[in-house]
Amino acid sequence: MKLKRGKMLVDPPECASSDIAFTLIIFFLVCAAVQPETGMSQILPKAEEKSEERQQSKNLEVSITASSIILNGNPLQLPEFTRRIAAELKTKTREQDRIVVVKSAPDTPYPVWIRVSRAIDSAGGILTLELESEKIIQIK
Amino acid sequence: MKLQRKKLKASVPSFAMGDIAFLLLIFFVILARAQDDSHIQWQPARLDKVEMAPAASASVAIDTGSKTYLDGKEISPEEIAAKLSAVLGDAPAGQRHVFLKVDREAKAAVFEPVIAAISEAGGDLIHILEPEEQPAQK
Repeated sequence: MKLKRGKMLVDPPECASSDIAFTLIIFFLVCAAVQPETGMSQILPKAEEKSEERQQSKNLEVSITASSIILNGNPLQLPEFTRRIAAELKTKTREQDRIVVVKSAPDTPYPVWIRVSRAIDSAGGILTLELESEKIIQIK
Repeated sequence: MKLQRKKLKASVPSFAMGDIAFLLLIFFVILARAQDDSHIQWQPARLDKVEMAPAASASVAIDTGSKTYLDGKEISPEEIAAKLSAVLGDAPAGQRHVFLKVDREAKAAVFEPVIAAISEAGGDLIHILEPEEQPAQK
C-alpha cells in the first residue's frame, strides 16, 4: 500500500506584499530612468531676420524645399550637396566666411532639414537661419 | 498613597512601513511624471550617426499635432524664448543643454521658429534623434 504524501502549502506572508511591490517599483523606475537619449548637438548663432546688412555675396546660401536642396542657386541632391558644401567651405578660413545661410520652405520636413544641417556642420559651416519676417505693407 | 498612572505606548506598527513607503513612492512618481514630457506623442527622426546626449536643463518638444511644449507643458512658440531664458538662468555655457524633440512629420514652418527661439534664449541645442537601423550583415 502506498502512502500519499501530503501537499505542503506555503503562502508568502501577506504583510510582505507591499514590500515586494515597493521593490518592483524601484526596479522599474531605475530601468526607466537609465534609458539614454541619443541625438545631434548643434551650435547656432542668433537667428537673423532678413536684413540688408548681411553680406549676401560672401555667405553661402542654401534653400531647402521638400524635394530639393539649392546651393547658391544650383539644385542638388543630398550626396552631391554634401560634397559641394564641403568643397566650398574648404577654401574659407575666416569664421565669418563659413556662415551658411539656410532658408527653408514652410513645408520642408524635419528629416530633410536635419540631414542638410548635419552636412553643413560636418563641412565646418556655421548654420544661420533666415526667417521671413512678417511685414504689413500699406497701399495708398 | 498615590496610584501610578500607566504609561501608554503609542508606536507606529512596523509592519505598516512598507505600505507607507509604497504610498510615498506613488506620490513622488506622479509628481515627477507631471513635470516630464513622456506623455507627448512624437516620433523621432532618424539619422545614421547619432551621439549620446548629455543631461539637459530643459526640453522643448513638438508633437504629432504640431503643438509645442516646454518641459512637458504646452506653450506657444512665441513664448518659448522668454520662458526658456528664465529656465536656463545664468547657467554657464556647456550647462545650457536644451533637448529638442521634433516629430518626424513636422514642417519647417513649425520647427524653425522653435529652433530660433532656443538660439535666442542662449540654449545649447541638441536634436533628439533615433539611430538609423543598419541593414543586417551576412
